[in-house]
Amino acid sequence: MQLKHYSLTFLTILALFFTACQDKEYVLPTLDGGLHNDCIKRTLGPNVVGLNIEFAYAMALPQTEGKIISAQVEASIAGAPTTYLEHRSFSTSGSGVDVPVTVGSASVNTGTKTEVIFSKDTCAATLRYFYIIPEEARGKTVKFTFSAKASNGQTVSYEMGPYSIAKMDMKLDLVVSDNNNSYISIADMAVYNAASAATNAANIDLVYLYRVIPGITFTHALVSPASSPDYLPGITLPSGVNKSTKIWKVWALRDQHLARLQFGVFIDDVDFEKLNFTGSPDYAINLRAEAGTWVETADGKYRAYIYINKIDNTKKEMTISIKRYPMQ
Amino acid sequence: MKKYFITFIAITLVTFAWVSCTDFPVDEDGLLITTRGQCYVSNFELLGVDFQTVRTKSAVIDTTAQTINVEVFFGTDLKNVYPQFSLVTDAKLDPKIVGKVDFSDLANPKVYTVISGNRLVKKPYTVYVTVQAKP
Repeated sequence: MQLKHYSLTFLTILALFFTACQDKEYVLPTLDGGLHNDCIKRTLGPNVVGLNIEFAYAMALPQTEGKIISAQVEASIAGAPTTYLEHRSFSTSGSGVDVPVTVGSASVNTGTKTEVIFSKDTCAATLRYFYIIPEEARGKTVKFTFSAKASNGQTVSYEMGPYSIAKMDMKLDLVVSDNNNSYISIADMAVYNAASAATNAANIDLVYLYRVIPGITFTHALVSPASSPDYLPGITLPSGVNKSTKIWKVWALRDQHLARLQFGVFIDDVDFEKLNFTGSPDYAINLRAEAGTWVETADGKYRAYIYINKIDNTKKEMTISIKRYPMQ
Repeated sequence: MKKYFITFIAITLVTFAWVSCTDFPVDEDGLLITTRGQCYVSNFELLGVDFQTVRTKSAVIDTTAQTINVEVFFGTDLKNVYPQFSLVTDAKLDPKIVGKVDFSDLANPKVYTVISGNRLVKKPYTVYVTVQAKP
């Protein structure tokens, strides 16, 4: 019995040894012929109307088989008129810089299609596609079919998506100041001075003010018009400006769309839907740059995130960017 | 050889049996009950909804009077704050803090009880909040 075991072990080791010593000859890989393609989506975060969705579409065939004659993208919803497919193919240099090589004429949009006709004799290219999200796509999904044609008659295609287009709106870099444009309308996504606020009283949701009060920390503030006068010192509201907006402070939520900083954080539709404003105050004082506030309008129609890009104590002003989501 | 092996197994089994029979009591929260009798708050923090402190200065903790006095900024939304207690080793707090707490009723300060590691000593701490006065 014991002898049997030894023999088996010996044979196994011998077999392993023999296998390990097999010398594998390196063989050059054979080129897979025909036209091939691949695609990646380059943009991250939610797809907001007005912004773009960027793709990189690569196509190639062996040099001996022909050249690429055209590339095309078809979107399920036509992009905004500024949608385009690059007519330059990019390669990355040794120093990490993208170097363009023109391969064809500028792209032409026809309905839902965007096409580039190649003029360069090339068998490989990577074109970038910038789909500018149109208003018609808001709240819907969009998908794309990338395709390429070669001089030998071969065609290839690649499906991407579907991608959800956000319902939210975005407005960047509104300047609110203590002595001029201090009234904010979420409904209009705009800031008004006192005179304009009086004519748009029904839409005014917040008042911006800057105060330096000895003994307390007040500085930059966003206050609901219906809030306690304690939080609106020295403010005489224009006639009819009286809404009670819910607002709460957030620190370091630097949405990349709004902040345009290095942080890969995005506020999406679902974030607005999940907020709970029960018991929220109607004022936010002592605000700082890179902070923000969640806001719900008095009628509950809109929720918004106001990001503070910049504050200026001397000018008594703030630069804000807003993402707004319609709840109804 | 066989004898050594059996001895080794026996010792191992006895060790395991002894360890598993050692009593490590836990309380209703699954926390270890230890021999420590100390019972006090070593630090207190109050955070706003933005998780930034709302204190104007360090909280004053009186371990004899069992009080915590904290002053908060003008405009602090006291209905939505997160208290944080640092306790002596092995102690626990009652009631537990599981989210935002409403400290807005300044006339009726909140009371939190610190329970020692041996669960035999209980000390109620009263948290007095004052708001920075507007001049």
